[in-house]
Amino acid sequence: MNTLLVLVRREVWENRSLWIAPLAIAGFILVMALFGAIHAGDQGVFSIGSSEGPKEEELREVLGNVGKQEGIYGMAMASFTMFHMMVLSIVIFFYLLDSLMTERKDRSILFWKSLPISDVQVVSSKALTALVVAPLFVLLVSAATQLLFGLIWWVRMHGSPIANVLIPFDAGTWLQVQAGSLVMAFVSVVWLLPVAGYLMLVSVWVRRNAFLWAVLPPVAAMAGEYLLLRTHYAASFVGRRLVGDFQIMDSPEFSGAGDDGLAEFVSRAGSVLVHWETWAGIAAAVAMFVAVVRIRRYRDDS
Amino acid sequence: MTAVIEARGLSKSFGNTHAVRGVDLNIEPGRIVGLIGPNGAGKTTVIKAILGLTAFDGELKVLGLDPRTQRNELMKEVCFIADVAVLPRWLKVSQALDVVAGVHPRFDRKRAEEFLAKTDIKMDRRVRQLSKGMVTQLHLALILAIDAKLLVLDEPTLGLDLLFRRSFYDNLLNDYFSKERTILVTTHQVEEIENILTDVLFIQRGKIVLDAPVETLGERFVQVVPSAANVEQARALKPFHEREVFGRFAMLFDGKREAELAALGETRAPSVADLFVALMSRDDGKAVAGAKEAA
Repeated sequence: MNTLLVLVRREVWENRSLWIAPLAIAGFILVMALFGAIHAGDQGVFSIGSSEGPKEEELREVLGNVGKQEGIYGMAMASFTMFHMMVLSIVIFFYLLDSLMTERKDRSILFWKSLPISDVQVVSSKALTALVVAPLFVLLVSAATQLLFGLIWWVRMHGSPIANVLIPFDAGTWLQVQAGSLVMAFVSVVWLLPVAGYLMLVSVWVRRNAFLWAVLPPVAAMAGEYLLLRTHYAASFVGRRLVGDFQIMDSPEFSGAGDDGLAEFVSRAGSVLVHWETWAGIAAAVAMFVAVVRIRRYRDDS
Repeated sequence: MTAVIEARGLSKSFGNTHAVRGVDLNIEPGRIVGLIGPNGAGKTTVIKAILGLTAFDGELKVLGLDPRTQRNELMKEVCFIADVAVLPRWLKVSQALDVVAGVHPRFDRKRAEEFLAKTDIKMDRRVRQLSKGMVTQLHLALILAIDAKLLVLDEPTLGLDLLFRRSFYDNLLNDYFSKERTILVTTHQVEEIENILTDVLFIQRGKIVLDAPVETLGERFVQVVPSAANVEQARALKPFHEREVFGRFAMLFDGKREAELAALGETRAPSVADLFVALMSRDDGKAVAGAKEAA
């Protein structure tokens, strides 16, 4: 079997949070859908949290300002995926920080090094797990969650007035949400490559307390710069590296460019991929990846 | 025949500390070589150099390959057990087989399973649930099923009880060793492996102080326990080591002088452990302290 695939499987075995966390979130969303505090009355009355609430007409009025039923459905589904992705980024953050430290801490690195596996393959398998396998898995889980949510919603709301206003499922919108999520995930991963490289570099270098070693230097730089110079260059640099892709996508050149459809979203995302900062980040990530491989070659704690 | 391990002037320094100082090695196929030395003598550094785990100076070829630049090639032919504790603790036994089967072209999964079937190790157990002895058995099962030319064992039985240690080496001899294979082993428990070794390499403060096939040791070294009347006479022949046991003196001589020595008292071939203690304490007090522990 392909060595890289075996190694990715090993990562999934070792780091069960990679697949348990998304499933737990899916479970949470579905349980909320099943037993959540949205109560549908019998006489055209529905409420959130209490038994009294606005009538169907009032609801239509409110929602009418937001957009069509499909739009609301799409936004709700996209919010599920965003929730998934936010949790995933926390899981991946800690996964990458541990990825090359744990094997030295428990000395299992000597077992891995006793097998015909190269350092490039090991480091690649970890990067691949964090940046490709885990996000794709989360997108799949989120897509399935949305389908199940639709089913639960349809069963629960069947015959209630809410069903006339909020649709449980729309195939076209659902597909657009999945496509948009895939594009957004791809752009985010590309934008965050240097952050991933930095975390792996910390992981391959330190013996313990990877979290502190990763977080303290940027925090110290920000605090030091502010105390000495009263400026915020370090802070804005760090912020840019974390969420700059959203900033680029929201830049004024796109304001009023039309409806927020998938096509426009893709063109916004594309603008991130052609931005020079993205490519500077990729170059930095490649350099850090090479450094990680070289350091693992002789990094020896025993 | 080409040597399995060939080193010329192998050296390694950590700052001002010279861990290995110009080691020459020539290990032929089909040998079981014990690399024996006190703590800090450079054993592990030599092993790490051979396995491509550390940078070094000098020349070193393992199976004709340079461990610095051709490590990935090399690891298809070389296996090693560095210590009992290196199997990842989260790994299930079945997963260990999956991983090695997935990445090692010379792994015979059936063989490993057959070996494990003879033990109490269950497939769904994680390494952390196994006893120390079982972890070593598992590791041994993986290694025995790999058709490798060189097996390197660095303190493989450290911390195991006698039963596990004995069966470890028995399995190694019966199920693994063959004319085409070479085993290089370091250990503190010299007595336990001395009768399986074909060669000994004594290393002290980064230098090889003895490199000899075991069968030649009896020809070269003689231990004499002279009768009380002959002690001074024996001492005059300049033994390189002397120790007192129950009021009698055991003296070690280097060089073939058995006939001459037999007249003075009982002679016998010294054990590897005896030789180790003697050679390690020849140099200075520091080495003696280490030698005691090692023996």
